[in-house]
Amino acid sequence: MSSFMGYIYDFARKTWVNKFSNAHTHQRVVNKPKRFREFPTVNKKYCIACGACTASCPSPHAILLVRDKDDDEGEGWTYPVINEGACIRCGFCAEVCPTDPKTLECGENHLYEPEFNIIPSKRQYIVDDYLCIRCKKCMRTCPVGAISVVDDKMVVDPLKCIHCNECVDVCPVEGAMKAVIVDNLQDQKDLIVLVVNFLEKFIENKTDDLRSLKKDGLLQYEVPITEIWDDALKIIPDGEIAMEIIRKSINRMKIRIIDWDSDKCKKCQLCVPECPTGCIKFDEENDTIVRDVEKCLRCSICYQTCPFSVIKYFLAKFAFEENEDGDEVIHISVRNSNICNDIVVD
Amino acid sequence: MLNTLKDIVRKSSIHVCIVNCGGCNGCDVELVALLSPRYDLEQYGIYVHNNPREADVLLLTGAVTEQWVTDLKKIYDKTPEPKIVVSVGNCPVSGCIFNQEGGKVYAPASNFIPVDASIPGCPPRPTEILEAILAVGPDAIAQRGREDK
Repeated sequence: MSSFMGYIYDFARKTWVNKFSNAHTHQRVVNKPKRFREFPTVNKKYCIACGACTASCPSPHAILLVRDKDDDEGEGWTYPVINEGACIRCGFCAEVCPTDPKTLECGENHLYEPEFNIIPSKRQYIVDDYLCIRCKKCMRTCPVGAISVVDDKMVVDPLKCIHCNECVDVCPVEGAMKAVIVDNLQDQKDLIVLVVNFLEKFIENKTDDLRSLKKDGLLQYEVPITEIWDDALKIIPDGEIAMEIIRKSINRMKIRIIDWDSDKCKKCQLCVPECPTGCIKFDEENDTIVRDVEKCLRCSICYQTCPFSVIKYFLAKFAFEENEDGDEVIHISVRNSNICNDIVVD
Repeated sequence: MLNTLKDIVRKSSIHVCIVNCGGCNGCDVELVALLSPRYDLEQYGIYVHNNPREADVLLLTGAVTEQWVTDLKKIYDKTPEPKIVVSVGNCPVSGCIFNQEGGKVYAPASNFIPVDASIPGCPPRPTEILEAILAVGPDAIAQRGREDK
């Protein structure tokens, strides 16, 4: 009975009468909210035709890379075209677009930016949503309650975080909770490039070992970290941070090695048109094939093309460990690629 | 008594029939959102009847699956002339993400029945659906001579 009286009372209220006599759709219902992602917009002139948007698109007919006809003014533009009948507005294409400014724009992107923090620390704690298993151990461990669940995702509040690093220690999945150093990202990239170049050169110099490697064989080396340590300290002077970046990058690094045995080459030039970047060229004056190592993608197409097995293709994996003497070493293992295993390796 | 009163009131409203011919239900959820108090479909004079024999507008969702190839034509034939078909979402237009290699999807729906308007989006916003119905619906009513005079 009381609820019934409540209804009666509700109808007698002035606000109800006002709303009833002036019934209309509220503007906020019709307007799109700010977070709503529209169809992507295309800026033709920035496109480099890399195809990253088409590769990332989950819908089969949503993006097409098209190229205009060449005319008197020059080559036609190459650019992506969005088919609105198939686009699901996920925004992946805008996220992967590598050009700056972006060719494809689609709402707010998902990249993170350094946020204001009251504690003077270089790190920012970020949960990798793909790796996170939502065990909530970090949430329970956090002494200040900075970690919470928002939209079924673990989120660290940078204003509350005191950088005690306990969430990283307790996390059962390696890499799910990240303590990213945000202020020297370019230096970190330079350091990783240095390590990769050093290791590649090291493996390429072992030509005898590589060429005598059997089909299922495995080559193993150990390189002490001291060989690159001085160069690394020139890029990042803080030894602790440099060591952490080297360790993290090496432990999940795989690189592809190409060995070029020019003595076997018969100058058939089959590999020249196949190369997607055009880094293989025929030098007519010296009658040799020249490969530009800087431009090479290590895609293995030349290896699959060559009929004389001039080119060999290897996969290398790395691990960062301590040996018996307590020195830090990089453990390298190299094996033959399993693409076209049937080709006879003499 | 009540039914005759309802009939009189609904004489000039747009009767809508929702046909899901094999989709993920995302668009159907958006259509249900239209019925909710926030959007309130009926204040615009649209009545979801879900009976093809009395419908003015067929709302089509979903990529056309194998069973629906024949059923879709049957439903279209049951709808009285003149009829309007509006496709909701990407699926009836292109098959959206279901139109993969090896998929058994017979999109677009316009291969089987004539589609008058289509609303892209996966799913489209309820307001977009509402706009489309209101753009084509009154014509259908006017052609039948049922418009509000």
